[in-house]
Amino acid sequence: MALPNQQTVEYPSFKLVIVGDGGTGKTTFVKRHLTGEFEKKYEPTIGVEVHPLDFSTNCGKIRFYCWDTAGQEKFGGLRDGYYIHGQCAIIMFDVTARLTYKNVPTWHRDLCRVCENIPIVLCGNKVDVKNRQVKAKQVTFHRKKNLQYYEISAKSNYNFEKPFLYLARKLAGDANLHFVEAIALAPPEVHIDIAAQQLHEQELVAAASQPLPDDDDDAFE
Amino acid sequence: MGDLEKAILISFDESGTVDSVLKSQAVAFCQQIKENPSICSICIEKLFFCKLVQVQFWCLQCLHEVLRVRYSSMSQEEKSFIRKSVFSMACFEGVNDENSVRVLEAPAFIKNKLAQVLVTLIYFEYPLIWTSVFLDFLPSLNRGAVVIDMFCRVLNALDEELISLDYPRSPEEVAVAARVKDAMRQQCIAQVVRAWYDIVSMYRNSDPELCATVLESMRRYISWIDIGLIVNDVFIRLLFELMLVDGSADQVRGAAASCVLAVVSKRMEPQPKLTLLRSLQMIRIFGLVTGDDESELVSKVAALLTGYATEVLECSKRLNTADSKGVSMDLLNEVLPSVFYVMQNCEVDITFSIVQFLSGYVSTMKSLSPLRDAQLLHVGQILEVIRTQIRFDPVYRDNLDVLDKIGREEEDRMVEFRKDLFVLLRNVGRVASDVTLIFIRNSLVSAVASSADRNAEEVEAALSLFYALGESLSDEVMRTGSGLLRELVPMLLSTRFPCHSNRLVALVYLETIARYMKFVQENNQYIPMVLGAFLDERGIHHQNVNVSRRASYLFMRVVKLLKAKLVPFIETILQSLQDAVAQFTSTHSASKELSGSEDGSHIFEAIGILIGMEDVPLGKQSDYLSSLLTPLCQQVEVLLVNAKVQKPEESPAKIANIQQIIMVINALSKGFSERLVTACRPAIGLMFKQTLDVLLQILIVFPKIEPLRCKVTSFIHRMVDTLGASVFPYLPKALGQLLAESEPKELVGFLVLINQLICKFNTAVHDIVEELYPVLASRIFNILPRDAFPSGPGSNTEEIRELQELQRTLYTFLHVITTHDLSSVFLSPKSRGYLDPMMQLLLFTSCNHKDILIRKACVQIFIRLIKDWSTRPYGEEKVPGFQSFVIEAFATNCCLYSVLDKSFELRDANTLILFGEIVLAQKVMYEKFGNDFLIHFVSKGFPTAHCPQDMAEQYCQKLQGNDVKALKSFYQALIESLRQQQNGTLVYR
Repeated sequence: MALPNQQTVEYPSFKLVIVGDGGTGKTTFVKRHLTGEFEKKYEPTIGVEVHPLDFSTNCGKIRFYCWDTAGQEKFGGLRDGYYIHGQCAIIMFDVTARLTYKNVPTWHRDLCRVCENIPIVLCGNKVDVKNRQVKAKQVTFHRKKNLQYYEISAKSNYNFEKPFLYLARKLAGDANLHFVEAIALAPPEVHIDIAAQQLHEQELVAAASQPLPDDDDDAFE
Repeated sequence: MGDLEKAILISFDESGTVDSVLKSQAVAFCQQIKENPSICSICIEKLFFCKLVQVQFWCLQCLHEVLRVRYSSMSQEEKSFIRKSVFSMACFEGVNDENSVRVLEAPAFIKNKLAQVLVTLIYFEYPLIWTSVFLDFLPSLNRGAVVIDMFCRVLNALDEELISLDYPRSPEEVAVAARVKDAMRQQCIAQVVRAWYDIVSMYRNSDPELCATVLESMRRYISWIDIGLIVNDVFIRLLFELMLVDGSADQVRGAAASCVLAVVSKRMEPQPKLTLLRSLQMIRIFGLVTGDDESELVSKVAALLTGYATEVLECSKRLNTADSKGVSMDLLNEVLPSVFYVMQNCEVDITFSIVQFLSGYVSTMKSLSPLRDAQLLHVGQILEVIRTQIRFDPVYRDNLDVLDKIGREEEDRMVEFRKDLFVLLRNVGRVASDVTLIFIRNSLVSAVASSADRNAEEVEAALSLFYALGESLSDEVMRTGSGLLRELVPMLLSTRFPCHSNRLVALVYLETIARYMKFVQENNQYIPMVLGAFLDERGIHHQNVNVSRRASYLFMRVVKLLKAKLVPFIETILQSLQDAVAQFTSTHSASKELSGSEDGSHIFEAIGILIGMEDVPLGKQSDYLSSLLTPLCQQVEVLLVNAKVQKPEESPAKIANIQQIIMVINALSKGFSERLVTACRPAIGLMFKQTLDVLLQILIVFPKIEPLRCKVTSFIHRMVDTLGASVFPYLPKALGQLLAESEPKELVGFLVLINQLICKFNTAVHDIVEELYPVLASRIFNILPRDAFPSGPGSNTEEIRELQELQRTLYTFLHVITTHDLSSVFLSPKSRGYLDPMMQLLLFTSCNHKDILIRKACVQIFIRLIKDWSTRPYGEEKVPGFQSFVIEAFATNCCLYSVLDKSFELRDANTLILFGEIVLAQKVMYEKFGNDFLIHFVSKGFPTAHCPQDMAEQYCQKLQGNDVKALKSFYQALIESLRQQQNGTLVYR
């Protein structure tokens, strides 16, 4: 599929390219999927990792060969050479690092130079972290380029399957396609509400000199 | 196949079948050959003879890289060779050799890569060295579609790699882009536009795809070329023809629409812009969006119409003459129906920009009052658009009702989607409140009457409008029920919706009632209706657990608000809630399992508020309360007795059960004020004391169960508030048990409790705090690190976060102690041993902690201690060594060095407050220690910071003066000048 010789399976498979600045969590993201974790091929010298990730849908099984371009953002490796014959893509940025969002257009351009007209998902990762630098409202790039946008947290598995589901639907041309089995994910390292929890605890301490905090005195929301 | 080809193929192979040693050799080989001085000619030669896409790609990538890195050091010959070769590839000037390969016959991504290389050359060489690049290209376009396509790719690449403002650019790139644009404007853009025109005219029927490509390329350039080249009879006629001629390909029509959108979006002065917009006679294309079409063309035309409407609106805002206002309003009125039509009938992905435009339009109405007929009509249409858009699709009804995966997805999507639309709704509500309320009323009426296959969605949408509008209504409007509201709220309360069993309908119904509660507060005749809605099967007794849970919460809010007005209804309310309450109070309730998810505390809180009021006679009050507390306490007692003889694996359920009981008692007690239970009705207080007795037993039976400790702690918090000082007798035992073997997280909870006690009772808790402090200090100083927490990867663990939390709470604790006249507890014989580590920790933190607010707290602690401990009643120090520690360590390190550090950001508001405290500390030190402080600070501290003598003298004057503000601004100036003087050469700390 992806290139000649790629290990094949009997069900449909697609080459998925994952790009984005270093440290945005691309590797952590693909590794959440356990079939990928166990079957991954590791090419340390060249620096691209190809993870075959399987999903069961109501239309049968499908496989994404996820080309995780980790660590190769600027130097060495084949860079945009890895995108060749990509059939779909994920552009990842880190909502806690503004620069990684600023660079999204460049990643998109480099990707589209090699893969014209493929479905692309934009993912804002690390939404579990409490001091975000890129608020959901500020994310507008996907509107200009007609991409799908998801907020995810690779660490807590939040929205893990959303990007894959969107791409699968686009590739299958079936808007009603859905995943039928729960995906085997590595257990979350953090829970998404830990951040809120910590904030809450902090406020509690800050309010030490106040009478008991009343948890529902906020205005009607 | 040559070695390089083989190596490239192997490098690209990710199938996992290639031996890893061989692969790294291949990669190394490819890397090495890039160092070869003639690498460019090697690549070019391969490009002329090799058909393998991997090889072609690698060679182009390599050329691009080499040009970017080594361009300035290349020879003239080499540059010229590359230029000619690349250009001939792009123009399809194949060598007439049968074996030669033409790059333009390769897949698109190779051609794009070639375009990128060519643009890199343009970057370095146009217009000075390679002046004729564009003009040379034009004649080759005669060779046909392949070259035209390549030419477009080059123009697109030029836009993306250099000109477009959508990408981050370095200042150098921006300068080059300006140079290229200027040269093109002057030299060749007219010819390029002419070529676009000719190609589109020539190929419009035979090769629509090519036409679309050319138009797409052209669209990118319209924003910066002379608009006259496009806006003229000839070109505009062509573009409109392309859009309008039925039977031409959709992609061409859509591409033409995008070009016209670029024309209308061009940045211009408003007057010429308006002339341009008018001259386009857009009315010609309104017909393209009638019909229920979902094509690409419709969405392109819709985008064009929205863009056009936005620009017209902008002109009308910026132009002031009556004439141009009139023209722009006419154009706007002309286009609006089409915009509304698109919004309502076509599935387009530009909803967002339409909503933006409509919001802009509505905001212009603010200045017009009253609105004219045309505008009132538009307002009505906008409301209709909003209603249509926020309505759920009936196909999801079941999914949404049971809230399965699909239902949840649809609900999330809708919540997100509705946000902007509701902002628009509220804006409309502000400029035309009556129209909006009438619209909502009519929507409700027609929704109720609508057929069963869509009434749930209609009702939900109408209620949601009403709910969303409420967010922008003022208290005054809510209370008085001004305008139609007086009619609408009663209508809401009295209407029986046929679809009330629907989860979404039930939820939004209750939310809406709760939102408009202020009206009921002033119009008490509606109270029975409100209670009905919350207490019957529409609310707490709804079949859907999500609804009943939310209803409990909202009911509690309603009770809080109406409070005294509900006294006559208490009996009725309690009766209605009997079954819900019984789930918790009866020992053998079958529904106990179910109640695990619903903690029930909101219902109990509501009941507590009701029965805790003083308006309830004592007899009734104690009956009510004991009927709840007695069975709850009994259950705890039974569970505790059983626990002693029980197998451990049975415990989790029991523990959860106890937790739940504590929570509901907690919630119940919130309604009882301290005054009531201690001063007026001690009998009630006694009941809570008995409850406290029972609940404290839990700590003895389950000493190490963290969730139980946590719950009991929170109950003690409550009782401190409710019972006031009469809680004292319980404290020693309770605190002792809570403190035993507590983990960092529990210590945090414990400190928070002590903080509450100190803040509430001040010095009255002196003995308790004096007893506790040494125990706490020994425990905490042992587990906290002496200096900063590790940073960097791996330091963000749960344990470290817990310790940081504990550290923060400790500072609050110390701060609370000192600010409540309790600093003497640090000096008790048992505490004395912890004084030194505490002072060292405070010093370190006041200078180094990354949280500025914590540093401020530490400085405030110092200030307080200096005031408390500096008295010398008999000529001897109250705390020996304290004064010299403060003068030698705190003053120099915190008040001088930490401030001199560049990381002390004086422009940050919090840091500035910290700075104020630091200045205050100096003032206090001078007041208390006099010249002992001043001399040391000025003679020891200042010289190390190279402070000039005259400034040091000025400092002394300011410090001795009475103006703290002047001292602060002088000290800030002093610090800034010292920093500048050092210019980073001296590193403090």
